[in-house]
Amino acid sequence: MKNSIIKLLALFMLIGFGTVYANDVQVEVQTTTVTEVQIDAQAPEAAAKSNHMEETYKTQPFMEMIDGFLHSTGISALAEPRADEMNAHGEPISDFHKSWGRVIMILITFLLFYLAIAKGFEPLLLLPIGFGGLLANIPLAGIGGDTGFLGIIYHMGLSNQLFPILIFMGVGAMTDFGPLLSNPKTALLGGAAQFGIFGTLVGAVALSQYTTIFDFTLQQASAISIIGGADGPTSIFIATNLAPELLGAIAVASYSYMAMVPIIQPPIMKALTTDAERRIKMTTLRHVSRLEKLVFPILVLVLAILILPDATPLIGAFMFGNFLKESGVVDRLSDTMQNALINIVTIFLGLAVGSKLAADQFLVPDTLAILLLGIIAFSVGTAAGVIMAKIMNLFPGHKVNPLIGSAGVSAVPMAARVSNKVGMEYDRTNMLLMHAMGPNVAGVIGSAVAAGILMSLFR
Amino acid sequence: METNLVVEGIKFMFLGMGAVFLFLALMIVMMNIMSYIIHRFFPEPQASVKSTVAPEEDNRKIVAAITAAIAHHRQG
Repeated sequence: MKNSIIKLLALFMLIGFGTVYANDVQVEVQTTTVTEVQIDAQAPEAAAKSNHMEETYKTQPFMEMIDGFLHSTGISALAEPRADEMNAHGEPISDFHKSWGRVIMILITFLLFYLAIAKGFEPLLLLPIGFGGLLANIPLAGIGGDTGFLGIIYHMGLSNQLFPILIFMGVGAMTDFGPLLSNPKTALLGGAAQFGIFGTLVGAVALSQYTTIFDFTLQQASAISIIGGADGPTSIFIATNLAPELLGAIAVASYSYMAMVPIIQPPIMKALTTDAERRIKMTTLRHVSRLEKLVFPILVLVLAILILPDATPLIGAFMFGNFLKESGVVDRLSDTMQNALINIVTIFLGLAVGSKLAADQFLVPDTLAILLLGIIAFSVGTAAGVIMAKIMNLFPGHKVNPLIGSAGVSAVPMAARVSNKVGMEYDRTNMLLMHAMGPNVAGVIGSAVAAGILMSLFR
Repeated sequence: METNLVVEGIKFMFLGMGAVFLFLALMIVMMNIMSYIIHRFFPEPQASVKSTVAPEEDNRKIVAAITAAIAHHRQG
């Protein structure tokens, strides 16, 4: 028995060695032939190449190589900025923006991460924007430059305004115009809230004219005040059109204020309304037929075509998405717009906006002014919506709860939720959510119209 | 910098707010007209079912009402 086992093992070993040896030989044969072939093929070019090699690569002493490597580390690039390093546009940058500026910006992106993850502020946008900002502030790598991948994404869809339009398509496919159709007059609230844009525009140019705090042109002031529309894609659309140099700050301000709607709006809403007004109950919404919902996008688009063709890129994309959704026969397409497409574009849009957070573009006095004017625009818009609701209550007809006026700034559906929440604080049974969705979606149309007007004025 | 920017801004404001309100007011008017036309000439099927509350308790009518209610529910 033992013998046979030993014989068997020996046999296996023999076979095993045999195959391994055979393999080795084969491999050796293969490698030698391959290298020979390569050498043969390269032989004629070798002489020519060696000349070229000498130009680009010089042998160095090992210590110099170590020294060179140490100079190419991030630490040395931040500590002793290189004189020849240019920004994304190939212009020279100050030493501050190359060293401490970058460190500060990287810390700011960490703050954005904190706000997005721990506080839940618009994480879908703040995370891509923050990470894009982090990548754009890396020294020497030039990720935000024209040949870096952030720069490529920026030129792919942001500098030509493609991404905001695609986002609008997805938002259109997610929007339900039912509440607006059942109570059309609430659309006026969405119009009044646009006063945040134009009021701030006057304020910004007045400050530029009469003070030396900042010096904005009319274009820049318009691009900044559109933050009051509380609509991220519209802000980006206008900023890339009128003031691309301010894009980073405008986009960050716009999205951070949209995220802070639940903090900014309630005090303004409470300050402007009386207790009795906050308890107003609105009549229940009537049923809206499918045909109405289907005709509505076409109706608005035709109006835009007739009155303000400059607004049609935004309104057209918005209504296209909505029309596909309401048609009910292309669920696949509307589903893609609501999910896959808008998600992909959000990633690219966030990264591209983040690339504008490079220290040399963001750490300038203008940014502070933009953040300040942005929050003023936002608050004025909220107040204007509430006041408009109070004015509407002076006229006969169904009463409007002024709390839904604040939803006239776009920020769908956050602003409507805030109206609902504040209403519930005073009367647990008062459900304002659907009533607030009317002015909310009207606000999207209103800010797109306002954007169209600004575009047409600078034509 | 001879042009007065503030005056320009105020012009922008009036034009802008005017156009936004004009657009939305027109939209409201058109929406009301559209709703009127649709309810007048193209009423939804379940609306007619609702109005005729079955006088005779006929099985087929109840089935029709339930089907319509389900359809209505599904539509949202």
